[in-house]
Amino acid sequence: MWGEIVDFAYWVVVGLFLIGFFGVLTDTNLIKIAIGLNIMEASLLLLLVRLAFSPGDSPPIVSEGILNYADPVPQALTLTAIVIGASTTALLLSFIIKTYKYYGSVDLKEIRRMER
Amino acid sequence: MIRKSVALVILAILGLLVMGGLAELPLPAERMSESVTSRHILSEGVSDTGAVNLVTAVLFDYRGFDTLGEATVIFAAAAGVVLLFFRHDLPTSRLGLSSLAKRSIMVLAPFVFVTGLYIVMFGHVTPGGGFQGGVVWATLTILLCIVYGTAFEWRFINTRTKTLLESLGAIAFILLGLVGIYRGDFFLSNIAAGFRAGVPGELTSGGAIPLLNLAIGLKVAAGLALIFYNMVKKDVG
Repeated sequence: MWGEIVDFAYWVVVGLFLIGFFGVLTDTNLIKIAIGLNIMEASLLLLLVRLAFSPGDSPPIVSEGILNYADPVPQALTLTAIVIGASTTALLLSFIIKTYKYYGSVDLKEIRRMER
Repeated sequence: MIRKSVALVILAILGLLVMGGLAELPLPAERMSESVTSRHILSEGVSDTGAVNLVTAVLFDYRGFDTLGEATVIFAAAAGVVLLFFRHDLPTSRLGLSSLAKRSIMVLAPFVFVTGLYIVMFGHVTPGGGFQGGVVWATLTILLCIVYGTAFEWRFINTRTKTLLESLGAIAFILLGLVGIYRGDFFLSNIAAGFRAGVPGELTSGGAIPLLNLAIGLKVAAGLALIFYNMVKKDVG
């Protein structure tokens, strides 16, 4: 199941993903949930970049005398993912601002208590 | 407490599963030697598009249509934020920071603008492009907003200007795409639609890519500036 080598970058990817997911699962502060989602997203971006790169590769900008380039396709996908992540985060944060203006709190427990 | 321990157990199982999956992934070099797309782009990318930066070549030539969709996502996010905070188009602070900060930001602002312009216009030659340069332009409006107070931004770079710039970027992108259809090729086709490939590595190379970068840069800058301004402005309701 484990293969021979699990790259160090993969440990960072899984670690970041789990940290972010732990925050999303357990925290009750909406801002911290947004931060957790962003950490999860960062780990996936790192995975995409890692998949495009093997040691010794140059960035995919063609110039003379370079033979090995990193794969440009996952990098372009990463750019797309960053942009979409930023947009969704902006929308998420504005919903949180609206929630704060309505309830006076961003803590889910307090909001639930007020709803009762 | 129970909640946290249950979460930890779930995460441990998830982590093991994900690690097992990642260990089975092919190495990047193996995957690339099997991927027809990546090999084609690496070997033929420069002659296909005229752009030296292959990431930009993928974004604005091979998958230009996806980039249009991506720009639409920013538009949708900006529209959502504006919709959530609309009705309250009022400046929140008139004072801003000290006059020292105001003077130095005016010295700094042209350089920030030119840096953004450089990143946008050289997107097909060096790392960068419309999205990155657009973000630099958006930080310029954010800096002005912080230093001069939002009243300044409300008066000089108002929402109408930003909406106009964003629409202009989108319309320019679509028109450049329609040139491809007009010339008898596909939507957003670049060299095949008669744009000049130029000498790879020069500013005028890459056919329509610099123009598409400029359109995307305008759109991203205006969209992000709109999002920021709508978040910080005073909500009187």
